Amino acid sequence: MTVFSALLSHYRRHPLQLLALALMIVLATMLWTGVSHLTDHARASLAQSERAIAGQQQLVREDGQALSVQDFAYLRRQGLCVMPWLEVQRPPPEGRVIGVDPFASACFGTEAPGQAGVDALNGTPFLDIAEAKAMVRQGSDGALSLLVPVDVEADAVPADYRLKDFSMGPATGELGESFLLNLDALGVLVLLITALLVRSVYQLGLVQRRESFALLGRFGVPAARVQVLLLIEMVVLTSVCVIPGIWLGRLLAEMLGGSFGQVLESLFDAPLYAVGGDGFVLPALVMVTVVLLACFADRWLLRRLPWISGRQSVLWFGVPALGLGLAMVAWPFTLGWLYVGIALVFVAVGLLTPRVLSFVAQWRAEGAGAITLWQRRELAVLFRRLALPVVALQFAVAMVLAIQALVTTFEDTFERWLGQRLEAEFYVEVPEQSAAADGVRYLAGLSGLGDWHLVQRGKTHVVPEMAGDDAATSVEVDLFSISPIGPLVTGWTLLDATPDAWEKLAAGQGVMVNEQLARRQGYQPGDPIGFVLGEQTLALPVVGVYADYGRPDGEILVAGKILPETFNTRFQSLSLNPGTLAMAEIEQGLATVWNIDQLTVRDNGSIRSLASGVFDQTFLITRAITVLTLVLAGTSLLVMGWVFFTTRARYYRLLFVWGLSRREAAGQLRWLAMCLTGAVAVAALPLGVWLTWTLVSRINPLAFGWSLPMAVYPGFWLEMLVLCLVIGLAIAVLMRRQLGAGVAAPVVANVSGGGER
Amino acid sequence: MVASLLTARGLNKQFRSGNQPVSVFRNLSLQLDRGESLALTGRSGSGKSTLLNILCGLEQPDTGSVQVLDEVFEGNNTDRQTEARWANLRRQQIGVVFQEANLMPALSLLDNVRLRAGLAGQNEDDCRDWLERLRIGELAGRFPDQVSGGQRQRAALAMVFAMNPALILADEPTGSLDRHTAEDVTGQLFDLQSRHGCGLILATHDAELATRCSHHLDLGHLPET
Repeated sequence: MTVFSALLSHYRRHPLQLLALALMIVLATMLWTGVSHLTDHARASLAQSERAIAGQQQLVREDGQALSVQDFAYLRRQGLCVMPWLEVQRPPPEGRVIGVDPFASACFGTEAPGQAGVDALNGTPFLDIAEAKAMVRQGSDGALSLLVPVDVEADAVPADYRLKDFSMGPATGELGESFLLNLDALGVLVLLITALLVRSVYQLGLVQRRESFALLGRFGVPAARVQVLLLIEMVVLTSVCVIPGIWLGRLLAEMLGGSFGQVLESLFDAPLYAVGGDGFVLPALVMVTVVLLACFADRWLLRRLPWISGRQSVLWFGVPALGLGLAMVAWPFTLGWLYVGIALVFVAVGLLTPRVLSFVAQWRAEGAGAITLWQRRELAVLFRRLALPVVALQFAVAMVLAIQALVTTFEDTFERWLGQRLEAEFYVEVPEQSAAADGVRYLAGLSGLGDWHLVQRGKTHVVPEMAGDDAATSVEVDLFSISPIGPLVTGWTLLDATPDAWEKLAAGQGVMVNEQLARRQGYQPGDPIGFVLGEQTLALPVVGVYADYGRPDGEILVAGKILPETFNTRFQSLSLNPGTLAMAEIEQGLATVWNIDQLTVRDNGSIRSLASGVFDQTFLITRAITVLTLVLAGTSLLVMGWVFFTTRARYYRLLFVWGLSRREAAGQLRWLAMCLTGAVAVAALPLGVWLTWTLVSRINPLAFGWSLPMAVYPGFWLEMLVLCLVIGLAIAVLMRRQLGAGVAAPVVANVSGGGER
Repeated sequence: MVASLLTARGLNKQFRSGNQPVSVFRNLSLQLDRGESLALTGRSGSGKSTLLNILCGLEQPDTGSVQVLDEVFEGNNTDRQTEARWANLRRQQIGVVFQEANLMPALSLLDNVRLRAGLAGQNEDDCRDWLERLRIGELAGRFPDQVSGGQRQRAALAMVFAMNPALILADEPTGSLDRHTAEDVTGQLFDLQSRHGCGLILATHDAELATRCSHHLDLGHLPET
């Protein structure tokens, strides 16, 4: 028998241990691959989308009709560089593809939309327009656009056509980046937690193999050789296990991908294009590296820095690291600085938590009765010996708490935002070159019409020197005008306001500012604000600050009556409730007033329901990933706890030998196991709240300049506590079977076989 | 008439080895009074530990009866009431010493003794005295992994005597000790047993040690298939 086979014989005797280790590597790989696969695709799609539509313009018909091949042919005959762009939506998981004509795009040169060169257009998501057309014929939805180079001037466009910006929707902006950043953070945390889990299972195996290693040492096998063989063993095992792990991760990503793609598309107009699968090599290498680092890095570190393993060293490093990390997060200079601070806090918490819990467990236990003393000492041992899975579960619970708080806050915010912006039942876009005043007069004359108002949007400049700050420069903000001020807006949530704020706004005696502008410029109700309207500069008091629900740009709300004729209105719309009238009748009336065939009318009810559905899907995915992580961490603690309790079963049986009934001994185990997992939940709580605060109040403002309000959900904390207690109960139930199995007499035990203290 | 401390009648115990029943002992009877000691000898696997386990209710015989003080246990009965009666006896009247692993690793020697005395309802204040009597008083604050095997066994004996038992069952208590330490530990065991007048059943491979007991039962044969 070789040394290697002697080492492996441990797993022949303990196949379940090998299975647990393999399972942990497979699950860890699956989870991380799934998350990173989704994030990579999301990022690629966003980038692709941005590249594809960057700086383009299109031609549309003046009569508003859809474009056809005949339009393309006509425009080309007119000598215009036009490229057809046929977007085909296929059902998931195929996703969206875009049909382009490489020959037609040749006149764009290297600026061809989508890709750099004609040849590159053959790759997904771009394909030949003939193939896209075939898909449309087979029943897929298709929409044709005709793109023209950005240097084409309006006067070069034939009659009956006009130029329009080509955009697949609103800009992704900070919201998309924020979403991806959160997914990235989730991926890193998942990787950290999975590394801890793999390490915990591996370490437990090592403890149980310690005597075998000692025996090999006595037989003359050098310790270094044993180490190399252990390394080879793990490389082989990990290499084997990551393959099904990656495959399962892809499967997970595909399962979530359908709805995820829809979410991206609906949210950010970034379709999850039908991109092919990535290779196995990179994720496999990452996971092998992570597993090897998790299992062996400490040996390398301990050889070079032996002092770090001591109890005092942990405290000497952990406490200052925690303080430093918290300070770095509280006063961050840059985003990188902030991330280093977060990493420091997590490392310090990971080091300190088991020791703090252990200390608390036996704090002032000396005066307690003998059985209580034993309970508390035993609990202290469990916290120390199960440190890794305890910390992994703590991190997982903290992450779930933070994600839940963010998601719930976001949902709530989004609901209120929808409520604010979609208050009216219908929204009618005022056509370009039409007079909004004609529409307003028409609506004012209608009998039976519900609440309505005209919205005019534009830009203005805040002039800070009018507020006494001479050093400040002018700041461009959005101007949001409403007339008349009525019930559709007076229900908005005001964060702060002067008395009769809405009346003053309606009378043109004041303005309201959104939360972002108030925060950035420090405006409070009563403060004067100077801003430019057309050719005049006004100075009016701020009468209220309204919630903007995460809107990143500053905004001033004014009554329509103060807008001068010279104000450059960029966009106008009517929001209205039809009341006792039919919407079709109002629509017809407005079309007549404006002398146009078709109006752009939006049913806000259906938009609200669609938007809510889309966000529900987004949050479902985020929650699914966090719950999976929690399940993994919980399972790990369950397995580890069970295995560790088993190694100490002989001592728990002593209680039985000393006169406790099996029921009483099982009760002691239940108490220990539930205290262990319950304490993990309690320890996770401050970390989770801190993580939420960091994401909301530090990362988002630094990265994107805005943030959601911070909220906590004690009901969910209780759910997490109950979940952790259930895990503890499960350990106790499994252990009860151990206690009931076989002869109750203890056998030989030593300090490497569960006799640790 | 005063009942004996321990009486076992017609004990039978079988194990299964594969499909084969293996008889450990048949129709075994014994009796022990207070102040008496009984040595159980025999080859490894002859059933010494099994018999001790049966005599303190950790295992059940297939047939036969065991009486400890006033409690009588008939046959293979594992109902909750029977278990509770056995548990109560072990808690207050029967002290068990194994070859190893008699102490809770998370507790100091003194706290181990206090735990055992506390479970038996005895005064925990005397626990340090028991460690002193067994000449390990200065180690009271140490943990089991910080003392030698002999010192651990002395602590195990202190635990048993601190509970003031009527019966001590010792399963090769010196099996893992060197000869000198073993003699020291068994000397203390016999000394304290005779002073307290409790019964002692000692499973041992040591013939010389067996001669120090007032009775001797040789289970010498290997189990019959």
